[in-house]
Amino acid sequence: MKTFRNLAVGYDGSLDSTIAVRWALRAAREVDATVTIVHATGLLEHLRARYSPDVLPPELLGLAKEYAFDESRLRWLVTNGDACSVLLRMACAPVNADALVVGSRGEGKRDGLLLGSTSLEVAEHATVPVVVVPSTYVDH
Amino acid sequence: MVLVINGPYSDSGHEDIGHPERPERMVAAMAAVDDLGLGSELVVAESYTASRAELVRVHNGNYLDELGAFCYAGGGNIDDDTYATFDSWTIATYAAGAGLKVIDELRRRDDGVGFVAARPPGHHALADRAMGFCLLNNIAVAAAELLRLGERVLIVDWDVHHGNGTQQIFWDEPDVLYVSTHQWPLFPGSGSASEVGGRHANDRTVNLPLPPGAKGDVMLRAMSEIAGPVIAEFNPTWVLVSAGFDAHRDDPMADLCLTSGDFRLMTNYVMDCAPRPGRVAFFLEGGYNLEALRSSILATLSTALGHPQEDEPPSNGGPGADHVARTRQSRLVAIEMLRHSDETETP
Ligand SMILES: [Zn+2]
Repeated sequence: MKTFRNLAVGYDGSLDSTIAVRWALRAAREVDATVTIVHATGLLEHLRARYSPDVLPPELLGLAKEYAFDESRLRWLVTNGDACSVLLRMACAPVNADALVVGSRGEGKRDGLLLGSTSLEVAEHATVPVVVVPSTYVDH
Repeated sequence: MVLVINGPYSDSGHEDIGHPERPERMVAAMAAVDDLGLGSELVVAESYTASRAELVRVHNGNYLDELGAFCYAGGGNIDDDTYATFDSWTIATYAAGAGLKVIDELRRRDDGVGFVAARPPGHHALADRAMGFCLLNNIAVAAAELLRLGERVLIVDWDVHHGNGTQQIFWDEPDVLYVSTHQWPLFPGSGSASEVGGRHANDRTVNLPLPPGAKGDVMLRAMSEIAGPVIAEFNPTWVLVSAGFDAHRDDPMADLCLTSGDFRLMTNYVMDCAPRPGRVAFFLEGGYNLEALRSSILATLSTALGHPQEDEPPSNGGPGADHVARTRQSRLVAIEMLRHSDETETP
C-alpha cells in the first residue's frame, strides 16, 4: 500500500481540533509527509476574525516544535466556508490531500444522528480516507 | 402587494440568544411593510407547511429525516454558524411553505408583487446539508414548484453571500437561471465567475463576484452588462429574488458598501426582467443591521410597487470596475470549456 504524502487537518482552536493536529503532525513526521492545517472561516467569523492567513497561530507553531516537525512541510490555510466543505475541498487541487484528519467534536451531536457532527459529515462525503481522532486520544 | 409571513406558527421559537439571525429581523421587516402605508392594497397571507413531497424536489429525504429528528431531540448547533431548536423544523417548513403560498396567491391574482417575510433564510441550504444559518432552501422549493408548472424561473440573488445551496440545487437545470451578486472571496467560498452551470445547463449560472468595498454602480454594471444578455436570451416567465440586505454598508456581516438607494436600482432592474405583473416575488435572506434592513426593504418594495420612497442616494465610486471585465472573460472561457467537453464526449 502506498503511504500518504499530504495530510489535511481541520483546526478551529478547540481542544478536539488541537488533538487532531497533534495526531496529524506525529503521523506525518513518521512518513515525511506534508501537513496542511486549515481553518474554515464561517459566516459568524466575519464579526470576530480570529486567524490571519499569513500567521501560523503560536499554539500551532508550539506544537510543531514539540514534535520537531519540519516547518517547511507545514502549511497554514484560512479559507472561507463551513468546516465540512472546507475540509472536503482539501482533497481537491491545489492541496490534493490524500487523507483528511478531523477531531471528533460535534456540539449538537445526538446519538445516531449525522447532523451536528462535522466529523461524520466529512466522512460521509469524502473522496479520500478520513481519520477521525477521538477527543480521548492520548499521544504516547 | 402580497405579503406572506411565517404562520400560524410564529418564527420566534427559532432563536439562539446572541445569534445575529434573530426574530427581531422579522420585526424590522414588518416595520418596513408598515412604512409602505399600503392600507387595503396589502394582502397578508399566512404560510402553510411545505409537504415532504414538495421538499424532496430539492432536498434529500434522509436529510429531511435527520433535520426533523435533530430538532425534535431538542436541537443544538449544526455547525459553527447554524443552529436549530425544538421548534425549528416546524418553523422552517412554514418558511418553505411561504414561498409556495406566495406563488399560489400571485397566480390567482395575476397581479401584484410578492414578499416572503419568513425565516430562517434558505439560500445556503444544500440538498443534503444545513449551513450558513439556513435549514431548508425556501426559494429553491418555490422555484421547483414553478418548474413543475412548466415555468422558466430567473432567480436573482443579491444577498452579499453567494447562494451556494440554490446554485447547487439547480446546477444542471436548464429552466432555472441563477444570477448572484456577492462579495468574493467571502463565505461560503463558492461563487467564482467560472462556475457557469452543469453540462445540461451551460450558462444558466451567472456569478458576479465583487471585491470588498464595491458599491452599487459596479454591482449594477455587472448585472446589466454580464447577466443582462443571458437573462434576455433566457426569457424568464417568473422572477424570484433572494433578497438579502447584508450588502448594505452598515451591515456587520460583510464589506460591500451599498445603500438603500442601490436596492432601489436593483429592484428596478429585476422588475424589468418579469414578463408581466404578478410574476415577481422577493424572499428575505440575510440582513443583520436592523435599521439598514428596514430601510432597504422599504426601498425595495416601494420601488417594486411603483412608488419609490425617499431613501439614501445610490452609491458609486468604489473598487471593482476592473472585475467586471475579468468576470466576463472567466465566464466565456468556462462556457467554452464546458461546451467543448460536451462535444468531445458526445459520440
Ligand atoms: Zn447573507
